[in-house]
Amino acid sequence: MLILVASYVFYGWWDWRFLSLILLSTLVDYYVAQNIGRQDDKRKRKQWLWVSVIFNIGLLGFFKYYNFFIDSWVDMFSMFGYHITSTWTLKVILPVGISFYTFQTMSYSFDVYYKKLKPTTDFLSFAAFVSFFPQLVAGPIERASQLLPQIEKKRVFNYEQSTQGIKLILWGSFKKVVIADSFGFMVDDIFQNYQNYPASTLILGALFFSFQIYGDFSGYSDIAIGTAKLFGVELMSNFKFPYFSRNIGEFWRRWHISLSSWFKSYLYIPLGGSQFGNVKAIRNIIIIFLVSGLWHGANWTFILWGALHALMFIPLYLLGVNRTHKYKNLGVYKTLKGWLQEWSQIILTFSIVTILWIFFRSESIQTAFDYFYVIGENFNFEAYLHPKGYRMIDYYLLLIMFIVYEYLIRRDERSPIPFKSKYIRFFTYTMLIFGMLLFYESNIDRSFIYFQF
Amino acid sequence: MKKLFIKIGVYTVLILICLEVFVRVFHLTKDYPVRIIDDRGVERWMPNQDGFSVTGNRRQNFSEYSINNNGYNSYHNYEPSKNKVEIALIGDSFIEGFHQHYYNSIGKKVEDQLENIEVYEFGYAGYDLADQLHLIYQYQSFFDLIDYAVIGLDFDTDLTRSEYYVMQDRMILESPKYQAMRKIKLLVYFQNIGAFDAPRELVKRLFSREESATNTLNEHDKKVRQKKLHETYFKNFKSLVNAYGFDKTRFVFLLDADKAPEFFLSYLKENNYNYIDFSQELKKSDIPTSLIYDMHWNNHGREIIANLISNYYRKKLP
Repeated sequence: MLILVASYVFYGWWDWRFLSLILLSTLVDYYVAQNIGRQDDKRKRKQWLWVSVIFNIGLLGFFKYYNFFIDSWVDMFSMFGYHITSTWTLKVILPVGISFYTFQTMSYSFDVYYKKLKPTTDFLSFAAFVSFFPQLVAGPIERASQLLPQIEKKRVFNYEQSTQGIKLILWGSFKKVVIADSFGFMVDDIFQNYQNYPASTLILGALFFSFQIYGDFSGYSDIAIGTAKLFGVELMSNFKFPYFSRNIGEFWRRWHISLSSWFKSYLYIPLGGSQFGNVKAIRNIIIIFLVSGLWHGANWTFILWGALHALMFIPLYLLGVNRTHKYKNLGVYKTLKGWLQEWSQIILTFSIVTILWIFFRSESIQTAFDYFYVIGENFNFEAYLHPKGYRMIDYYLLLIMFIVYEYLIRRDERSPIPFKSKYIRFFTYTMLIFGMLLFYESNIDRSFIYFQF
Repeated sequence: MKKLFIKIGVYTVLILICLEVFVRVFHLTKDYPVRIIDDRGVERWMPNQDGFSVTGNRRQNFSEYSINNNGYNSYHNYEPSKNKVEIALIGDSFIEGFHQHYYNSIGKKVEDQLENIEVYEFGYAGYDLADQLHLIYQYQSFFDLIDYAVIGLDFDTDLTRSEYYVMQDRMILESPKYQAMRKIKLLVYFQNIGAFDAPRELVKRLFSREESATNTLNEHDKKVRQKKLHETYFKNFKSLVNAYGFDKTRFVFLLDADKAPEFFLSYLKENNYNYIDFSQELKKSDIPTSLIYDMHWNNHGREIIANLISNYYRKKLP
């Protein structure tokens, strides 16, 4: 009950009117799951599942994609010479976290449908599961089969779990305040004024954005996981050092894991996965990447970003190497050749991901291509100066230290301060807080990027 | 749970102590010189103190100040006499110059340009015209020995008072509470980097629902309000000059004519008040004239101001 009240107060703080949407989504899926659980007839169970899917996707479609679809239709007709003045667009406010909680409630109906979970009769626990405040607005998107039983059972204080939680909150805050916010300011400057900068700065802009979005999103996830631990709840990991991935397949097993595994469980596998030959498998891969892109926002840039990731993934799938690194630990090699091979794979994958981020960050597809065009056209080097005149060397050193530290802790993403010596641990806590003070900016917009999704 | 809270408490204290050490060792925050109200009721810095002024989280601007035995930031003490030619620069933080090394001030730059001239800087953050004229009035015999004086004047901020009185808002910073708080450098650092802004803003938002009156005014009302303010400032100007006197043969204003209303500038001209206008020269500059971290003039800006003052006196001096 306390979690439920806290969650509703937390969400209502932003806009109390949208509490009704969460409540509605909760009621629908609670009712749907009850009916799925009561039915033995597969057809009827499926019909009830469709009620949940249509309702949640409809909610998402209206609040998030309505204007996008209307504008896209109008643009399409314009291409064929039919000029329509768009009068059907609406001024719709996008409710924070709608993409996250609609997927979470749907996962409940799916889990009940697939008989992974029995429908709960405890409405309050179910409502708390849907609105669980640490991960309500930006994930991780939890599975009902994992989170709901934890909320239903009586939780007791666990010292180890709580200290782990606090460490994750500290590390997540560092990633947000120091990495994401520091680089975000420069990224905004470079992407807004890309036409006035040389190639070296535009490449730097893309590189900085890679770290901004990682710091921002994984930072939030760590804070969410850490906060949940303080309440005795274990959320799934959302990031596992994705920039140390050795190919795109591995990247997607390390980046936004809760979303990729959601699509795998509830879209890719129901579509047949890779069981019905390569053609169908490729079709399914393309579908999940496109949908994953669209999930991020109502813009063709996200769809193209998803499509390009699919394009990078498919050759790996066809060569049968997309799962090569699944069970192979990072940094385990005995020879120099192994070291060189691993690092060249990491750098290549990171470069591909960074290039593709340009589509994700750009306002439109046209702007993204212009960005690339300027890189090619103005291909020269010029030192980038911080818009506020800050020393750039501070940021380069910060980036290097961050990468080295992440590599040191790469074994376990849930234990960001894993040192055995309490002195080293204490030193690390102090340095993280000191770093936050050194790079704290008081007068900037520090909203999390994924709140908009 | 008790163990967790105790451990958090102990770690917090230890981390705060370490941070206090870091802030001190790396000198990340500025030193605050002590203010005094002297026996003549003039507010200035306590004589003979040194320190460093710091801006930014990572010491992006770091400069040394030195308060002389007159209570102002300068590389030398002031000993005016009838045998020398002296110019006084009186003004606010722009003249005070804590954001620059005290050896690189406007006054020093003027001295370097004009031979056999000593420049005495009486800069103090927050000084308005009431402070400046009151200072000259109270130390009349001292200022009578100084040949010329340049008085900084910002029409919008320096004419809010019609008479001098001690600014309690500033002097409260010398209360035992603030003095004690300033000894904790970490607290000063938090304050300077704006770490308290967000919680303060949150509290403000929670407890005040009304918008400030100025925000709700329309354009017409704003103009009427501004006109009234200008009239008040003009009255204050006259009142201050009447009360403390103004030697038009020796004193000149240093002002930004773009920020002063036309009627005020006309009044100055018609009544033979001299002024040096720096607005155009600063505007003409191709490179920035103020610091990145705050609004004060950078070295280039100070060069421009020093050139203007030097050129003015080159014409005036024999």
